[in-house]
Order: sequence, then C-alpha cells, then structure tokens
Amino acid sequence: MSESTPPLEQQVTLLELVDRVLNKGVVLSGDITLSVADVDLVYLSLRVLLASAGTIDRLALPNGNGNGNGNGS
Amino acid sequence: MSDAAVSAAPTALYVYGLVPAGTELELSGAGVDATDVGLLTEGDVAAIVGVVPLGQFGEEPLRTNLEDRDWLERTARSHEAVLDRVLGTTTVIPFRIATLYGDEENLRGFMRASGALVTGLLAAFEGKVELGVKVYFDRASAVERGAGEAESGQDYLRRRQAEKTASGEADAFAVDCARTSHEHLSAASLDARSNRPQASELSGRTEQMLLNGAYLVERGDARLEQALRELEASFGEQGVTYELTGPWPPYNFVPRNLVAA
Repeated sequence: MSESTPPLEQQVTLLELVDRVLNKGVVLSGDITLSVADVDLVYLSLRVLLASAGTIDRLALPNGNGNGNGNGS
Repeated sequence: MSDAAVSAAPTALYVYGLVPAGTELELSGAGVDATDVGLLTEGDVAAIVGVVPLGQFGEEPLRTNLEDRDWLERTARSHEAVLDRVLGTTTVIPFRIATLYGDEENLRGFMRASGALVTGLLAAFEGKVELGVKVYFDRASAVERGAGEAESGQDYLRRRQAEKTASGEADAFAVDCARTSHEHLSAASLDARSNRPQASELSGRTEQMLLNGAYLVERGDARLEQALRELEASFGEQGVTYELTGPWPPYNFVPRNLVAA
C-alpha cells in the first residue's frame, strides 16, 4: 500500500493474476459475441496453468456448474 | 480509428477499462500484443482502448490462445500493467481481459447507453483499491495434532477413532475460520466479495484454501491489514496463514452486467 510496494507484475504470480482477469467475472463481450463461455474459460485457464506446472497429470474438474459467487469451503 | 494503410487485417477495439474524461494517458506499445493504448472519450467517460488484430482475438484464435500459457501470461500481464498504471493516477473501472468492440461507433454506443451506471461506479471507486486475501489451512497437520492429543498409545482402534474425531473437528474449524475471517475482513473494508477458493492442485500448495476474498478499501487505509494481524493472532497457531495481495483495480466490484453483450 505504501510507495515501497513493488509493481504488481513482480509480486504477483500468474495464478493470482488469472484469478482476477479471468475469474468468474469473465465477460467476453463488448459487441463482439464470443461464445467462449464463462465456465469454459475458467477451466481452460486451469488447464493451462496445470499443464505449465507439470506436476499434475489430471484434475477432477467440477462439472460445469458451481461457477458462481459461492464460497466452496 | 486508423485507416487500413498499416494492415488490411481485420481489427477490433480492445477495452481495458473506463476512466473519467480528462484523464491523460498515452502508452505506446504497452498494451496487449505490444499495441498502443490510448483514450476514447464520450461524454464524461473515457475508455482505455487499443486496436488489436482479430487474428489473435477473434473467437477461434482466442480459444486457442487462451490454452497457450505464454500467450495467456503475456496478455494477462499487459492487461493488468495498463490498468495498474492508470490506477496510480486516476479512478478506473477495470474490465476483464478480451473485452472487444467491433468498431468505434459501437463502443461509443455502449458508453452512451451505460453512462449513468458508469459515472456512478467511477464516483464509488474514487480513491478506492481492491485488496485480495487468501486464507490457507494446514488441515493435515491439524488432524495429526488433534489425533495425537487424544492418543493414549498402542490401541489401533482408539487411534483411528481419535483421527476421525480430529478430522471432523478440523472441518468444523475450517468452516468457522473461513466465516470468521471473511466477516472480520469485511468489517474492516467498504465492500467485500468471497470467491470460490482455488483447488490445491492449482495453487500448488498442500494447504487447503479456506477463503479467496476481495475487499474494497480506501487507498492507504490500514484497517484491513490490522484486521489481518488480529486474525493471524487468533488462528495462526492452528495452522492458518493469510496472504495479502494488491492494491488491485477493483475487478471484483464491477457489476457483471456492465459489459454484458
């Protein structure tokens, strides 16, 4: 919060970033209708990240629902 | 925008977010795909905007590109860097990545149609930033500790029972801790959102994420950090850690229907 805070791009992991710029609030819109759906996109990004991590071969993703604002804990 | 002299390839307008009219901004090559970023003013509001090739941002290419980690990272970082620059100087309504308009007239149409909502949001966001808090719980250690305490030795069944009890207690604690943490942080902020916690496979951490919260605060207000320290003092010993990020543009506080097609 202070002036000494490093720029976001240095302190923030890709995951944290994607959590914001791609998260459930994803609105691919404007007037160009893109049918890349909200849910699909979140899971796409998960797959990308997982593949990049190289540690997990598979992830049991939830089935399409539960993409809302809920707290899953 | 510019005529087709540079390239005949089809383009679209990529909108990073909205700021009050009169904001000064000129970012050469700092946008996604190294494009220039400028402002397009309509009434009291200006859109932070760049021209991008549909060859990358059209529906099919975008679908493919989002699967490409390097592309995703470059684009997400450029997007955030532009908004971060703007956030340092003025109020901004941040859009998510890949918000596209076919041409300038369409974008102006959107800005005119959403004028009142947008000016209201800009007023609400003035001087505010978003902070992120992730709460992690070392559940395995907590269960082990719990079972260890109840253990009186060699009896296998008793040990199993103790673990079962400890596991149930850990779950109850996790729910309570998540709720208490979010309430405490919400009380120290102007507005709050609770997002779905990330799977541990994704975060790469063995701890369970209990809370993935976003909090709107006055820039420079230390109350949220104070609340975090209080929570750490309460729950730290039980294996709970808190991670603070930001300040962010208020991504989580932009109404979802603002840019809905």
